[in-house]
Amino acid sequence: MPEPLVKVENLKKYFPVTKSFLESILLRKKEYVRAVDGISFEINRGEVFGLAGESGSGKTTTGRLILRLIEPTEGRIYFDGVDILTLKGSALKKLRRRMQIIFQDPYASLNPRMKIGDAIGHPLKIHGIAEGEERKELVLKVLEKVGLSPPEDFYERYPHQLSGGQRQRVAIARAIILNPEFIVADEPVSMLDVSVRALILDLMMKLKEEMKLTYLFISHDLAVSKYICNKIAIMYLGKIVEIGDLREVFSRPWHPYTSILLAAVPVPNPKAKKVRIIPRGEIPSPINPPSGCRFHPRCPYAKPICAKEEPQLEGDSRHQAACHRIGELELTSFKEIRNSK
Amino acid sequence: MSLLEVSRLKTYFYTRRGIVRAVDDVSLNLERGEALGLVGESGCGKSTFGLSILRLVPPPGRIIGGKIIFDGENLLDKSEKEMRKIRGKRISMIFQDPMTSLNPVMKIKDHLIELIKTHEPDTSVNEALERASKLLRELGIPPERMNDYPHQLSGGMRQRVMIALALILNPDLVIADEPTTALDTIVQAQILELLKSLRDEYKMSLILITHDLSIVAELTDKIAIMYAGKIVEIADTLSFYEEPLHPYSEGLLRSIPSIELSHQQLKSIPGWPPDLINPPSGCRFHPRCPYAKPICAKEEPPLVKMGEKRIVYCFRWG
Repeated sequence: MPEPLVKVENLKKYFPVTKSFLESILLRKKEYVRAVDGISFEINRGEVFGLAGESGSGKTTTGRLILRLIEPTEGRIYFDGVDILTLKGSALKKLRRRMQIIFQDPYASLNPRMKIGDAIGHPLKIHGIAEGEERKELVLKVLEKVGLSPPEDFYERYPHQLSGGQRQRVAIARAIILNPEFIVADEPVSMLDVSVRALILDLMMKLKEEMKLTYLFISHDLAVSKYICNKIAIMYLGKIVEIGDLREVFSRPWHPYTSILLAAVPVPNPKAKKVRIIPRGEIPSPINPPSGCRFHPRCPYAKPICAKEEPQLEGDSRHQAACHRIGELELTSFKEIRNSK
Repeated sequence: MSLLEVSRLKTYFYTRRGIVRAVDDVSLNLERGEALGLVGESGCGKSTFGLSILRLVPPPGRIIGGKIIFDGENLLDKSEKEMRKIRGKRISMIFQDPMTSLNPVMKIKDHLIELIKTHEPDTSVNEALERASKLLRELGIPPERMNDYPHQLSGGMRQRVMIALALILNPDLVIADEPTTALDTIVQAQILELLKSLRDEYKMSLILITHDLSIVAELTDKIAIMYAGKIVEIADTLSFYEEPLHPYSEGLLRSIPSIELSHQQLKSIPGWPPDLINPPSGCRFHPRCPYAKPICAKEEPPLVKMGEKRIVYCFRWG
């Protein structure tokens, strides 16, 4: 079996809660936001690995940790077999060429005073790959590749002269210009208009084939994940509650949270019959997460054990979930929910 | 008589770059108890349409033509003082971002009391409080949370407060502008279920402004699709999803991923929405339309009636 491109082991990131001076004297105990709290997974080459969950579940933090944009509190991250947390200086810089990121907000991620051509060519400058005319050539080529033509025209423009969809193409161009192997795409289409979302997703898939890319695709929108991903991990309060082949997980969810999340997605079909189990309340605070299974206070199937013991991921390589009641519950997939009366 | 009859409404923004024709000759009817979805992409003028009805268009925007007949009276003939009596009381609005629409230094109960006292000065504070707590409980907010400030509530709770503010005076018409866009999937489902039950219970007339065709499918009786300042199609919700008539509607429906379908091929609409300062001639969608004919670039498309309830502005059908 080939080695996974990315391997994450027991990854944790706690952010300290900032308090006023007085509070920090009076309350000795330091508090932390447990954004990511002990997760492990592997991403194989050529996969589109989806990370889904509601806001505050830790999916964006996970993406940033893997790129070492922030340092983890605990855990290991291997990229192509190398423990990247031990890398420093030039070795780290070399690694950065191989992994890139596309951010959610195409309005905030581009410098408004930098021409499109310069913004895309910037990574070439930083890594000392190409200068002058040669750099321009490479930038024009990549502009063409992401569908911004005529490239000469776009090269000279500023971000404010572009639409949201065009800006996101620029962000993609900047991410692929170094020929990376791995791209973290953090909600790349959630700020775009519906009619251009499909274009961007299709562009990402085309580039994946052409350049043999591997994606970590972070999205709160399960319908988008379903369209693009082949593996999925569902996160809740810093933990992975279910992980596996997307089709398996979506058609036969094992964790109540996954099933509820799937049922909550609205569908563009007025005839669809929806019987929804909607849990009460909202995601609790990650500062003091619930004991045992973190979903138990909202879970319609919770038993006494769920409040006491934390469930571990169980299953095989295709499908795993962390729930004390795996196999006992008749959970519905989205299809069954839609069709039942 | 319809509750709301908008005819030939024009709202333009006079910017330094030129005139932005955000709402350009739009006509639309809404019956009592009807829920209408106004759908379009950003910049198509859908939010400006909602603000125009309440006469809240911010400068440099101005309503320069048309009529807004609400319950038999033209709102464009009203004085500002008369409009203030209508806003909140007879027509209310729910905005996308509850954090910026609530006053951060006012408790939740004070928002509600102020609103009641403004429109019904004879109501006592106690009476107002009682009404407020009754409604909040119905909306799923424990009444003791009335003493909280907006920042102490979660996003979903805040949106419930916005809904309470929109409903407390029993308005005839509620305009909801992207009410669930800022919310997470499960919270969005909670708010949608809530709006659905309120719609059935209070028989309220609703205009739901959104970019999301999935939400509209769940909540509305009728759909109007807007593109580049114009309405391109009006249809009842069921037949719209069965067969969208306008090429733009068809493109929109094909471009959204659905969790329901097992093998889906998305089709996107080529190109981008136009600049409303220099919109394309003829039909504004013609540069992106797969069915465009020479006439589409020259003349404005005609209004075509298809059966009882459907209207489409397109040469393909007329």
